[in-house]
Amino acid sequence: MNNKRKWIFRGCTLLAILLIAVLMFIVGRGHTVYIDNKTLEYNGESYGALQKSEVWVGGERLSKLGKRDRTMTTVIGNSFEMKLINTVNKGDEPTETTVKISLPYGWDGILVNIPGYLANLPQEAWMTEFIIEPTTEEAAGEEEATEDEIPMGDF
Amino acid sequence: MSTKQQNAGKTALNFLRNNTVPLMFILICAVCIPISGFSPSYLLNEIITRLGRNAFLILSLLIPIMAGMGLNFGMTLGAMAGEMALIFVSDWQIWGIPGVVLAMIISVPFSVILGLICGKILNMAKGREMITSYIISFFINGIYQLIVLYLMGSIIPIAHGSIKLPRGYGIRNTVSLLNMRQCIDNLLAIRIGGVKIPALTLLIIALMCLLIVWFRRTKLGQDMRAVGQDMQVARDAGINVERTRIISIVISTVLAGFGMILYLQNIGNLSTYSAHSQVGMFCIAALLVGGASVDRASIGNVFLGVTLFHLMFIVAPQAGAKITGDSMIGEYFRVFVSYGVITLALIMYEMKKRRQKASIGEQLALAQKEEEQHE
Repeated sequence: MNNKRKWIFRGCTLLAILLIAVLMFIVGRGHTVYIDNKTLEYNGESYGALQKSEVWVGGERLSKLGKRDRTMTTVIGNSFEMKLINTVNKGDEPTETTVKISLPYGWDGILVNIPGYLANLPQEAWMTEFIIEPTTEEAAGEEEATEDEIPMGDF
Repeated sequence: MSTKQQNAGKTALNFLRNNTVPLMFILICAVCIPISGFSPSYLLNEIITRLGRNAFLILSLLIPIMAGMGLNFGMTLGAMAGEMALIFVSDWQIWGIPGVVLAMIISVPFSVILGLICGKILNMAKGREMITSYIISFFINGIYQLIVLYLMGSIIPIAHGSIKLPRGYGIRNTVSLLNMRQCIDNLLAIRIGGVKIPALTLLIIALMCLLIVWFRRTKLGQDMRAVGQDMQVARDAGINVERTRIISIVISTVLAGFGMILYLQNIGNLSTYSAHSQVGMFCIAALLVGGASVDRASIGNVFLGVTLFHLMFIVAPQAGAKITGDSMIGEYFRVFVSYGVITLALIMYEMKKRRQKASIGEQLALAQKEEEQHE
């Protein structure tokens, strides 16, 4: 009986640790979100870039985007919230918009197009996966190297 | 000379004998600090950073010492397990504190397996645990390199090009941990007069210390102490000596894995093939500098050791540069001192053992003489 209880306790501990691991796996997923203020072409229609868009993330101003500008931020978790203060045309009053996006788990880099989002287009129009191609230097650069010598570096 | 004076002299001599290494380091630091010209706040900042970075790793050495297995050079195995876990977590893009926690969980099975292997081998090499664990760490390093260099990306799935070598398999020399850099150190960090105190990291270390204190009082902890004092007596008392020794190494390896993850989250990048290579050496040197020996170490030794050893690490290059005009002298000096202090501690341990043996022999001879006189 005592032995059985011991095994049940061990099993529960293992299960709890696995659950924590799964939880960390979900909540800790990092994404790089790129925010674009570029003209979007979708289904033959054009959605023009804003005159100016201020991007605020987590209470801090991330960037002030002009036409054809892009900024980026990193996010941990599957949801992303930002505040946009947009000036559509020169001389217009700025308007404030809060954007809440659910980020796809499998995408590392996510490109969000502001004009597309503001035009209420379907998600696939304004959110796309952004894959960074390695530069030729990076691609050719590093080869395998192990160290035989004792490193002198700091500890 | 009166008996009182003689006793005081003996006590002072014993104190000097037992604390040669820490005293030597205090002397080195006392000379080098003014020469280096660093401000006290800078030194304090550096010491606290390094305390948070290294203390957990060094604490992992205490349990095998308690079990009489000496200084566990095999802690490198745990460090490798931690690194493998970090490679996976980086590839899965798990960032921040969840990344650190997940890496710690993933490192456990690797550490347990490596600890079991190490413990089993050390049981076959009783009395020569330190040199054996040192060589095991080289052997496992070979396997680690095989896995990381050839199997990761080819058999073990690795998705990200930023981690993989351009040829399509194997891991790059450096893996960036920028997205989890100092995530634990910065959370709840306090700034006092320009000195950053990583409160959460220090809290984790404090909890670890409490855990060790508690562990010493448990049945298993008592068994380990008994095994450490005398294996034969422990066996006669019904303790499974081999099992107890293996458990001590497994615990040490798991803790070393956690320590390595904490260490690397502070640094912010992982040198895939060399980060673990000097960990054992420097941790052991720091512990010895704190006044520990092969068969005796306490939590106090860990903190004194980290402070003195790293103080020397910080000031030596600058002091070397000021004295000789070449900072490399200081760099060589600190590496040379690390090895030197281990050698010195081992020699002193051996001398102490011989002295003890000789004194027991003398006492025995004296007792025999007295017995003969009585007859």
